[in-house]
Amino acid sequence: MTASLVAARAEPVVGRSVFTALATRELRRFAVNPVFLAGAALTAVTVWNAGRTAVTEIDTVTPYPAIYLGGFGMMAAFWQTRSMRASEPIVGTTPATLPIRTAALCTVAIVPFLCGVASLIALRLYLPVAGDWVYGAFSPSARIAVLVEQTVLPALGGPLLGVALGRWVRFPGAAFGLFLILYGWVTLVTIVSLTHPDPTQNVALRLFAPFAFFTSYENVTEVTTWRGSPWLFIGWQFALCVIAVLAALLRGAESRVRFTIVRALPMAGVAAVLLLVLATGGGLAHAVRA
Amino acid sequence: MMAGPALRAGAWPAVTGLSAAAMLAGICGVLFPAATTVLFPISFALLAAAAAFTLDEPASLVVDVTPTRTVRRTGVRALALLVPLTVGAVLLVAGAMRGLALPWGSTALALVGNVLLGFAVAAVGRTRTGEPGAAASAAVVLILILPGTVPLVSHWVRTFPASGGDGLPSDTVWWTVLALSVAAVAASVSERRLPRRR
Repeated sequence: MTASLVAARAEPVVGRSVFTALATRELRRFAVNPVFLAGAALTAVTVWNAGRTAVTEIDTVTPYPAIYLGGFGMMAAFWQTRSMRASEPIVGTTPATLPIRTAALCTVAIVPFLCGVASLIALRLYLPVAGDWVYGAFSPSARIAVLVEQTVLPALGGPLLGVALGRWVRFPGAAFGLFLILYGWVTLVTIVSLTHPDPTQNVALRLFAPFAFFTSYENVTEVTTWRGSPWLFIGWQFALCVIAVLAALLRGAESRVRFTIVRALPMAGVAAVLLLVLATGGGLAHAVRA
Repeated sequence: MMAGPALRAGAWPAVTGLSAAAMLAGICGVLFPAATTVLFPISFALLAAAAAFTLDEPASLVVDVTPTRTVRRTGVRALALLVPLTVGAVLLVAGAMRGLALPWGSTALALVGNVLLGFAVAAVGRTRTGEPGAAASAAVVLILILPGTVPLVSHWVRTFPASGGDGLPSDTVWWTVLALSVAAVAASVSERRLPRRR
């Protein structure tokens, strides 16, 4: 009996140590991935380059961390997830289950997330802006929210999406295909909002994306602040991250873990929809030009 | 060698899937003229990725030791390029019929350049591996998105013939790419080079 109790207690401890070892290894692999390194270097160069002159359009700077850390990070995480596919018959016989290995892979998102935080700090502290008006008619806290949703959250969500995609999609070109489609989608809905920013369906379309603009610039000194709540949009982005993690973990999950994930997924979906609706309805009643 | 079986063995789901995604992006570009200069390059990059999958040969271990010459095998597989080229042509015709203000000759050159670049990278990759599509398409897309996503690069070169902007004009870029691609494809099929096996 003592032996069985000791074994029962030891199992989670062993599971934790396996997870820690795997997570450390995956983090190291991700941190030296050439695609991610290229993204991080491009982010640093772009932010540094933007800081050389006074910025009059903040939207010309903030999308780049999202593209490089989130987009390139998604591709790097996708390839890292797929890299073990060929050796799955051997790896599958080890004590570490697929969900544990997936969870370890998900931890790689910490690296681009921290880079995103560093970008945010650099943008906030060292980016010379022509005045607070470049952020639009937002309160100081909402300005931070806009920067967080544009630089930090995409850097976290991109790699998580890459892991989920790598677990479920066999097609090797899925990551760059999705990157291009998301890039095209964000461009399209932003352009639609440029001409007609006020209709609710246009606001919903613009926010139905992992990244969104909240301002537009007609000329050097005229900023239009669009509808939508940046804070609630961050909630929507978090919900997307949770859905990506759950979808990734679902692959290969069995018994209780599977049951828990299957129950959590619809709840996360409902929360995401609710937050999107609230983000669409929140904020300004109509676009404000200043 | 019969062309039919050689073509049938191609990575058609990848070629047609990416071409369909390109069609979708391109149609949005046609429907929303303000977004054309962003969505058409995305569409062309997807077509280049589709072209990069045309030389994938899952049975390369067997196929590469048959007496069929590399140039003939590559020529037969090049027929698959008709899919991305047709999709691109349909988009150009749709854009012209809708009255989009684009220099159509230069845009057509950019389309052919994109597709041929994807094919050339795959042809070079095919000398090392039987299925170069995944790596070649990723490399091509990463190259093609650089001018759109990296401000420093967009100052030097333009890969889409949009009005305004500075740097090397897109026609110069694509004529150069075309010449280099043709040379790369010719070099990759000039002799019987089998993929290296580890």
